[in-house]
Amino acid sequence: MSFEIGIMTFGEVTRDPISGELSSPRQRVRETIEQAQLADQVGLDVFGVGEHHRGDFVGSAPTILLAAAAQATHDIRLTSSVTVLSSEDPVRVWEQFASIDLLSAGRAEIIAGRGSYTESFPLFGYDLTDYADLFREKLDLLLQIRERNPLTWSGRFRAPLVNADIAPRADGGTIPIWVGVGGSPASAISTGRLGLPMALALLLGPITFHEQTVELYRAAAEQAGHDAAQLPISINTHGYVGRTSQKARDEMYPYFAQGMADNNHQRGAGMRIPRAAFDAQATPRSGLLVGSTQEIIDKLLTYHDLYGLERAIIQMGFGGMPQKLHLEAIERLGTEVAPVVRREVELRTGRAAA
Amino acid sequence: MSTPLTELPPSVVSDDAALRVVVVNGSPHDKSKTMGLVDVALDALSTMLPTTVHRIDVYRLGPEFATATKREDVAPDVETELLAAETADLLIAATPVYRGSYTGLFKHFFDLVDQYALANKLVLLAATGGGDHHALALEHALRPLFGFFQAMTAPVAVFASAGDFDGTTLLNPRVYGRIEMALADVAGLLAQRVHASSAQEQVHHD
Repeated sequence: MSFEIGIMTFGEVTRDPISGELSSPRQRVRETIEQAQLADQVGLDVFGVGEHHRGDFVGSAPTILLAAAAQATHDIRLTSSVTVLSSEDPVRVWEQFASIDLLSAGRAEIIAGRGSYTESFPLFGYDLTDYADLFREKLDLLLQIRERNPLTWSGRFRAPLVNADIAPRADGGTIPIWVGVGGSPASAISTGRLGLPMALALLLGPITFHEQTVELYRAAAEQAGHDAAQLPISINTHGYVGRTSQKARDEMYPYFAQGMADNNHQRGAGMRIPRAAFDAQATPRSGLLVGSTQEIIDKLLTYHDLYGLERAIIQMGFGGMPQKLHLEAIERLGTEVAPVVRREVELRTGRAAA
Repeated sequence: MSTPLTELPPSVVSDDAALRVVVVNGSPHDKSKTMGLVDVALDALSTMLPTTVHRIDVYRLGPEFATATKREDVAPDVETELLAAETADLLIAATPVYRGSYTGLFKHFFDLVDQYALANKLVLLAATGGGDHHALALEHALRPLFGFFQAMTAPVAVFASAGDFDGTTLLNPRVYGRIEMALADVAGLLAQRVHASSAQEQVHHD
């Protein structure tokens, strides 16, 4: 397995803090598919769409956007980032992703998560007090659907399945299911015990932020009898690839600060991240993937060395970055960053000959 | 109704030789992380020493408990619970951190405990919180409370954050390690007391 690099988006509909323009949801869904198309053309490995049930995102139904992306692309893998599994019916999740898998000739993937936003719970009639139990049960059902058909199953949160035929089956027989982990020790440990690949979300902070999370994950996997060293880990983090180090920061900052203000509320109000704090997040020892081509290469390799990563998915366009800048960054990531990182990782892990 | 000062503390060697562990649980929830943490400690303790466990959920003691301002006012069943806490061999004081401290009814329970009933009593402190930044509530809120009572709090207090749990199941091995360390001290102190008390009985019998 070689190192995979991808992008993801929430499909933000945010007023441009510089031009004052607000793109329409219609424009934003088309731009989202255009991003997938370009990512595919420049040879990126993964395209992800996050699930958010709010007016300032068009990503409430990621499977629909991924199905459209399937038609517009050829090679790139298509994943949710994440599917808020706790408030979904796993049968429906499977049916939709299996359909995307057929449409895309086997390119569908699922990152199942608990959800960092909670809007979906009241929308679909779930109780937040069942947060942990919901995820555990629904993940169990989803894994069993993947495993066998027909299926007999029973649980607490939905009617039992008796010899149920759940169709279609995946194009290649199976669909990769990752678990999205925000960094809490407990979710890393449960994911490790199940022997499932872990998609780690890192928002801000030191690049070493998840060292303990990864240790706990591998130790739990080992203890449960899985081959811990073989379990893939992916990192999802915000980023932007600019033409120069300075340009990258100047171009990303206003949008990122806007996105943070819209999504990171303190005392009930949005908090803008100060420029100095943003610049600190961009330094080599912190997690944010913003900078020149060379800076992103270096930081991805640091991530790889620290966590033994198989994959990095960079969230771009947070805060409603204009499509032109967004596309330029995708192009640099695919043509200038990804080939170097893949080659370097192969050299370091001695997999080139394999 | 309170235990008279002159009365000797009940021997830690009861008839069935099991140690009476009493948990005062300050969580308002039926299924709680606080009890998830305590259950791990109780489980580990039972592998070290023979124990019987009595659990007091302060939020289940009823409205008459909540409105009682004097020990004389409490209903007989609440009196029984207060006595159980006062006569325990080991008291586990466990609470979630709410608004920077123990929960309201948790404190209310101890407001009704006799001033000297917990003197020299072995107390293990346990708390849960939304994040690690609440951990020192154990030292800055719980420990002074038992300092007032002149109780002997175990040197290591145990804390777990919400992220250490899947629901109410404690998963983080580092917290397990902390519990083991706390219990090693507790078991040592209890064993010393058992020893001292049986030696004393020996003297009486001779």
